[in-house]
Amino acid sequence: MVARQEQQLAATASNGNVPVAESANRLLPSTANFGAKVRQWWPYYAMMAPGIIFFVLFHYLPIWEAKIAFEQVRIIPPNIWVGIKHFQVLFTSPVFWQVLVNTLIISGMKMAFVFPVPIIVALMLNEVRSGSLRKFIQSAVYLPHFLSWVVIAGVFIAALSPSNGVVNDITGFFGGQPKSYMTDTGAIRWVLVFSEMWRSAGWDSLLYLAAIIAIDQALYDAAEMDGANRWQKILYVTIPGIVPTIATLFILNAGMFLSADLNQVINFSNDVVRSQIDIVDTYVYRIGLQTGEYSLATAAGLFKAVLGMLLILLAHLFSKRLTGKGVW
Amino acid sequence: MAANNRRTPLERVEYAIIVSTLLLLVVVTVQPLLNLLAVSLSDPAKLPGMSGMEVLPRGLSFDVWSLLINHPNVRAGLLNSILITGVGTLLNIIFTALMAWGLSRPGLPGRRILFIMVLVTIVFDPGIIPDYFVNKRLGLLDSYWSVILFKLVNAWYLIILIRFFEEIPQELLDAAELDGSNAFQTFWYVVLPLAKPALATITLFYIVFHWNEFFRAMIYITDQGKWPLQVVLRQFVIGGDKLAIVGVDAANNYTGASQIDLRALKAGMIILTIVPILVIYPLILKFFTKGTMSGALKG
Repeated sequence: MVARQEQQLAATASNGNVPVAESANRLLPSTANFGAKVRQWWPYYAMMAPGIIFFVLFHYLPIWEAKIAFEQVRIIPPNIWVGIKHFQVLFTSPVFWQVLVNTLIISGMKMAFVFPVPIIVALMLNEVRSGSLRKFIQSAVYLPHFLSWVVIAGVFIAALSPSNGVVNDITGFFGGQPKSYMTDTGAIRWVLVFSEMWRSAGWDSLLYLAAIIAIDQALYDAAEMDGANRWQKILYVTIPGIVPTIATLFILNAGMFLSADLNQVINFSNDVVRSQIDIVDTYVYRIGLQTGEYSLATAAGLFKAVLGMLLILLAHLFSKRLTGKGVW
Repeated sequence: MAANNRRTPLERVEYAIIVSTLLLLVVVTVQPLLNLLAVSLSDPAKLPGMSGMEVLPRGLSFDVWSLLINHPNVRAGLLNSILITGVGTLLNIIFTALMAWGLSRPGLPGRRILFIMVLVTIVFDPGIIPDYFVNKRLGLLDSYWSVILFKLVNAWYLIILIRFFEEIPQELLDAAELDGSNAFQTFWYVVLPLAKPALATITLFYIVFHWNEFFRAMIYITDQGKWPLQVVLRQFVIGGDKLAIVGVDAANNYTGASQIDLRALKAGMIILTIVPILVIYPLILKFFTKGTMSGALKG
């Protein structure tokens, strides 16, 4: 609360401020022309120039380049404009529908099974009274968040190995047959789910923990006066207190529904299980950069980008409506 | 936690269950990594019977590590990763801070348009093929710049910094200006020192980002000598046949190489790739945790 007030104070304090370089001209009439203004501000534009050039080159130039989705690539330029031909090919391609379905299934599974875990972890962490024990647990479970997907894939390949992986060693101890999870079409999506869980459950709990800590302590005291036990306090104070955070993050995840994480899938993929976990992004990568069907791949990428953008904007809108907090 | 020292036996059992569940989570997180470390340090002769559950090396041998450290691809990968991360992070932080400073000034003409321009890039990403053609057109293929430049300014971190700079009291900036400081001096002597915690956090973000990046290097850099460590690791672990890893030349140079177990090599390589992250991990915990906590609180 205090922090928020400070922020507002700072915002009001800096509103309508005149820039440093300009304060000598404070009394200039507001009709001062645009050119004069730009001249006063030039040091700031100079400082921002490299960043702006970067955004133009690496974010806006690609948008322009995406026109290739509407063109027939020719070895000798210029390319020919063909309109939505590639999109028609795309939407009648069974492979494309399959990768779209895969993407939705994998995102859906992550939503259902990965999303709740950090909430539970946060609720449990909040119950740990010893500060040093909590710090110890946190520093261990946060770690995988900072490992690359290449590393995580390596860790999982080792852990799931049929001959000497920890998972099969444990199931073997209970009499199970060794199983090759990485090359099992029925298991590979679960491998994606669990590796995502392993990577993010700890770190994501931090956001919920922050929300829990922000809950007014008086509410707990009042609940205690009413004779609430641990579970009642969690159920009637903590959980309602973090519902806005849960909702916001849920909506945000929904906005990312078409990105089932390229970096993850590309490292967990192999010829045997590809059909199960081929997502839009890996499809674009494969037919584009490996097969060289640039136009079709760009069309698929654009389709994803436009749908993804709508989802994110929708998510932002919902999040704002629900909690007053936007994504940015 | 409120002062409540009267705990019933039921509550003690509940507490024990919660703590042991969390400790189990710690084991699940850390055990696979410890196992890999143990495998990489074990005596190759004793490796075949070694279970994935074990976290202590069987015997002790540094063969795998010395092979890895002397492996030309690994060495090159390490150097490339350090170069890309170092140069990349330095440029990132300079240009992100400069742009954030400009965008944080309330009266800047065109501020809104520029801000929206940044937001658009968060929401709309035309995908990897157009990006590939841009890199090609700019002549960046097969160059370090293709992996260094593409996130020169990360839009999210930029916004975090803008918010931070906006909170710097205007009086302070006015005072600096009264002392005859120009815009650049104010930025250097007043703004940057104030922003140290935020800059430190973002620096760590960028370091982790550069260190872990592999996809761009994989598609844009065909010259193996320029591969960062992650791509070398990928070739080891996912591409994984032994000759490719040890290399025909290396197999001749290192007499022990053919005896070295593939499993131990992969394990060592994974751990080696994590080491730098582990080194900065205490800093990450200190800055990130605080940053994320207060960020969430402020909304």
